[in-house]
Amino acid sequence: MTMATRIFTAVLMVTLGLGLGTPGAHAQSAPGTLVVQVSTEPPGLDLTTSPASAIAGVVFDNVQEGLIKIDRTGKMIPWLAERWYTTDSKNYTFFLRKGVRFHNGREMKAADVKFALDRAVNPETKHPYRTQYDAIQDVIVKDDYTITVALKKVDATFLYTLARQGSIIYPREAVDSLKTQPLGTGPFTVAEWVRGDRIVLTKNKDYWVKGRPHLDRVVYRFIADPNAAIAALKAGDIDVSAFGIGPESVDELKKDARFQVIVGDTTNDVTLSMNNSRKPFTDKRVRLAVTHAINKDEVLKGAMFGYGKVLGSNVDPLNPFFVDVSKRVAYDPAKAKKLLTEAGYPNGFDVTFRVAPQYYYTVRSAEVITSQFAKVGIRAKIDQIEWPTWLSQVFCLAPCQNPDYEMSIIGHAEAWDIGNFANPKYYFRWDNADFQKLYAESQVTVDDKKRKELYVKMQQMLADEAPAVWLYMHPRLVVAKKGVTGIWKDLPLPVLDLSEVAWQK
Amino acid sequence: MATLAVTLLFVSLLVFLVVRVLPGDPALVIVGTEGSPEAVERIRKALGLDRPLVVQYVEWVGHALQGDLGRSIQYDVPVAGLVVSRLSVTLPLTVMAAVFMALVAIPVGVYAATHQRRWGDYAVMALSQLGVAVPAFWAGLLLVLLFAVHLGWFKSGGFDGWGQGVGQGLKALLLPAVALGLFQFAVLARTTRSAMLEVLREEYVKTARAKGLAEGRVLFRHVLRNAMIPILTVAGIQLGQLMAGSIVLESVFYLPGLGRLAIGAISARDLPVVQGVVLFVASVIVTINVAVDILYGVLDPRIRYE
Repeated sequence: MTMATRIFTAVLMVTLGLGLGTPGAHAQSAPGTLVVQVSTEPPGLDLTTSPASAIAGVVFDNVQEGLIKIDRTGKMIPWLAERWYTTDSKNYTFFLRKGVRFHNGREMKAADVKFALDRAVNPETKHPYRTQYDAIQDVIVKDDYTITVALKKVDATFLYTLARQGSIIYPREAVDSLKTQPLGTGPFTVAEWVRGDRIVLTKNKDYWVKGRPHLDRVVYRFIADPNAAIAALKAGDIDVSAFGIGPESVDELKKDARFQVIVGDTTNDVTLSMNNSRKPFTDKRVRLAVTHAINKDEVLKGAMFGYGKVLGSNVDPLNPFFVDVSKRVAYDPAKAKKLLTEAGYPNGFDVTFRVAPQYYYTVRSAEVITSQFAKVGIRAKIDQIEWPTWLSQVFCLAPCQNPDYEMSIIGHAEAWDIGNFANPKYYFRWDNADFQKLYAESQVTVDDKKRKELYVKMQQMLADEAPAVWLYMHPRLVVAKKGVTGIWKDLPLPVLDLSEVAWQK
Repeated sequence: MATLAVTLLFVSLLVFLVVRVLPGDPALVIVGTEGSPEAVERIRKALGLDRPLVVQYVEWVGHALQGDLGRSIQYDVPVAGLVVSRLSVTLPLTVMAAVFMALVAIPVGVYAATHQRRWGDYAVMALSQLGVAVPAFWAGLLLVLLFAVHLGWFKSGGFDGWGQGVGQGLKALLLPAVALGLFQFAVLARTTRSAMLEVLREEYVKTARAKGLAEGRVLFRHVLRNAMIPILTVAGIQLGQLMAGSIVLESVFYLPGLGRLAIGAISARDLPVVQGVVLFVASVIVTINVAVDILYGVLDPRIRYE
């Protein structure tokens, strides 16, 4: 036998004989260090010029923070701004915390806040969420710790905008290095970025919140392949898998005593989109038929192994205005067939899904739905395309003029994104004046009770008009070594807040 | 030399056009699902993508000839620097894999040739085919499962850099190199076997044996040396295939190599990086072929180039 054959046979025998369940020797991280696996390397570290959630996962709330913070329950809490007041909902005065230092040693002042907000408003900056700052008319510095923002009109989302990842405060003299070495007020600083391999954060010893962070060092490792991530977890080479675990691995990992699995909620609404500008989806009856034809519980079981929550509209359970409208257009294949016949499709129709396998849950969901469609006569095919192709042809970013798709599936991860349905140019191409009116009103209604009423009406309208089918809320799946504490269960916004994470003694 | 230049020029044109024919460009990927059409146009302009193709091509080639492959859109660092740093992983990996491959293939080929049509020959050749049937990523995962997860002798992947010491670096590359090269010995083994068989039939081999030379000396000093030309040709081709195979292994072992850089750049439409990596790899392969041609002349005095 040659050496190769010997080794091959040995490997085969050992693996078959010993099985895969026996734990091996762990590599232990140094105490105070946490190794986190993420699947996507951030394209730069600048939250003010790119919307990529991979950046937020590293930088937001860890390196840079905002005036207001969203905590793990989704509540807005005063952060770099100690308090604020408004009398007319058009002029907000913020009182900044004193003695908060940036990573370069300088104290944060109102001038830095003005710089950050002015820059977000400025179209030259290419701020990814610039339209969220549209209501800002002027930013006035009263003194070093007091600043007033004057709005052109009432904006019910203004305070929330200040809590989002695009509103982080940074030293104005460090604006040019935001992409590679972002400075802020956060519990960690960026120590090292080895492109393609890892980002290392180290503890900010002068962090303004006493007692935090608990970790000395955080290493983000980029491991895209889910099998490699599981292997690394089992070998002990990583401590936490934050955004890379798929539902197929959860059950197996739950049984492993070395790990804890955290299943929570997110704001990611997995949506089946229909091109409302193309037949047969121009007909509401067809869209309702499609909704009636889908058994969402089965989709959840088949595509997500039972993890996640069924949705009825574009608002997720973490949203304070959420109302469950999933039964308004319930699973009813007989009704689906009837509606199709009424609409002129007694023998169903052919349709193609265009999905990007980079988000594998979309492919799985399409597969389950294809078999459900078959029962009502809808013959579906699945066309897997690359992500940039999806952006260019389905999502129809410029220079695309008309979206080129019939059906697609993707998770809409932003919180508070019901406004997409008020945009007739959005890739759904749904143009409903009543909805647009409701939404416009909700944007200027500051009273929470009244605003909730409007949101309930919008959710009901979406369910009844069915411009899309809201399948499920994608679950938050985190696996970590036992002993790691402080990780958020739910994800009210895209972030990986490590300020309270610690190793249990 | 002229063929080298023409080939590379052709490759540069091809890669330049192919990445631009694909739907979607870096501006779309940067802006993602949050963007407005103005944001996309602004970024496109900033990246110089709105200029005529000819202008973009000429500018790129002009800089490339001076060693400047442009700047990565994702990482905002020079592409040339990125390629070099990734090469420090992919090159040793490929070389180690090639060594494993040759270490198995050549002795196996020699053994098979000298035991022709006997049990050993058939068994070895059948097993080599089995080896080729093993996909590299599967072999990699199996090795990780056994040696990293189960035994804990190795890390599951990753590469911390040569700064930690040559020994540590080689250790990190060992499992991927084995997965990449070890099972690929079939083609090279067969080539060795058939090349050896041809030479073994030659008259001078009979003469050498008649002279009383030890069989080992006959095999390695006379037979193998003269069989080297076809072996080298195939080895050169296989080296190129190993480089291609390293892409998959780099994902399994999350190594920061050239292959992963290329894949990530394609997904992100990081045009300068895709162009730079393809051009670089093409240059390497063309150079390997030229080197093999020159080696022919060294091994066989009858083949000389003017």
